[in-house]
Amino acid sequence: MRYFLYSALACVLFQCKSDYNALIPAAMDGSCASQRMPKLATSSLYQASIDVTGHHLSGLLVIKAMSDSTWRVVFTNEAGVTFVDLGLGLDGSFKVHHAIRQLNRKPVLTTLRKDFALMIGLPFQRAQLSQFATGDEVYFGARQKNESYYFITGKDCAYLHRMERGSDRKRVVSISLPGSAYPTPSQLVLQHHTFDMQIKLNRIERE
Amino acid sequence: MNKCSRRWGMLGLATLALFVTMVCGAQPKGYTLVKDLPAFRQAFTRESAKVETIESGFIQDKVLSALTETIQSRGSFWFKRANKVRIEYKTPFTYTLILNGDKMLLRDGEKKSQVNVRSNKLFQQVNRIMIDCVQGTILESKDFTSRVFEDKDNFLLELTPTSKSLREFFLIINLTIRKGDYVATAIEMNEPGGDKTTIQFTDQKLNKIISDAVFSL
Repeated sequence: MRYFLYSALACVLFQCKSDYNALIPAAMDGSCASQRMPKLATSSLYQASIDVTGHHLSGLLVIKAMSDSTWRVVFTNEAGVTFVDLGLGLDGSFKVHHAIRQLNRKPVLTTLRKDFALMIGLPFQRAQLSQFATGDEVYFGARQKNESYYFITGKDCAYLHRMERGSDRKRVVSISLPGSAYPTPSQLVLQHHTFDMQIKLNRIERE
Repeated sequence: MNKCSRRWGMLGLATLALFVTMVCGAQPKGYTLVKDLPAFRQAFTRESAKVETIESGFIQDKVLSALTETIQSRGSFWFKRANKVRIEYKTPFTYTLILNGDKMLLRDGEKKSQVNVRSNKLFQQVNRIMIDCVQGTILESKDFTSRVFEDKDNFLLELTPTSKSLREFFLIINLTIRKGDYVATAIEMNEPGGDKTTIQFTDQKLNKIISDAVFSL
């Protein structure tokens, strides 16, 4: 019993601390939400650098809006070999057009689907947004199944600070923008918080 | 090398697999089948043996068919017999691959990764393909079935991978080989998903002295 109490206390103090319990519901500022909602340009090319559990991979990432309102995300190596070609819909639909054997695993594809959807800003496009305040930041949240997607601004709504995906308690993924803003961010850094994975994207300007 | 390392190594390997074929030679339109294949093989082997080094520029066009997008990149290529290769993309991004004997280095600006080519079967396979290309014996390779075509100025080697590991990346590889010196001037890589990459070599210099430092890892 004593050990149970210690465990429960440790859980309360450390592991079970919610990343989102400081969020306080606030009145919706529609103007700020529409101004800062991330929405990627209809055609983007990035040099991608991916680190997963100590292993490094690089290549090119093409993200394009298709005429049927879906988005295609293609990751190739520098020499042009296509590793993965995914289709994402505004309605949450998902299609694997191509994936090499090494990446053609459900957990990998699910992770990539959610990561790319957040980069493009898909979860916010048709969602009923909720607004929360905490400290100096404002969270705009969209709920999808048992997860929430957020884009986060300052109280002055001057710029987009970052985006996040999380469960009710834990932040799972965050995307920061060290460079220029949407719709053509020059850099995107996606960090997973539940396992060791980071995706860095540097925009390639085409003539 | 553990299973995970091998997996990531294979992805880097696809880059190498594309480029190792450059040293021997890319496209069928207006081509006819070569009738005297033994004579071609003999000449290909003989002339390939004369090439000690290659220094060249290249223009690569990756065509994403479903997206109607083309990504063009440019860079430089060096080869030194028997097994030294350097591929350097310069624009619109930087990326370097160096193969030196059993070792391969990948550098993408931020990070360097070094791989031991002997550590897995697929690496050994690609190594063998490269040697077959260098020696002009790619037509005897068990890794591909091949057909040879020609027009007035070029031969075209159509290579179809036979192994499962290569078939995953390549449907058909076409190498254009210039008549006269039997040097590759272009490569066209067709993928199972319908995408295509073409690489055109520019300003090729043969048998120029190239320092080993170019291939240092």
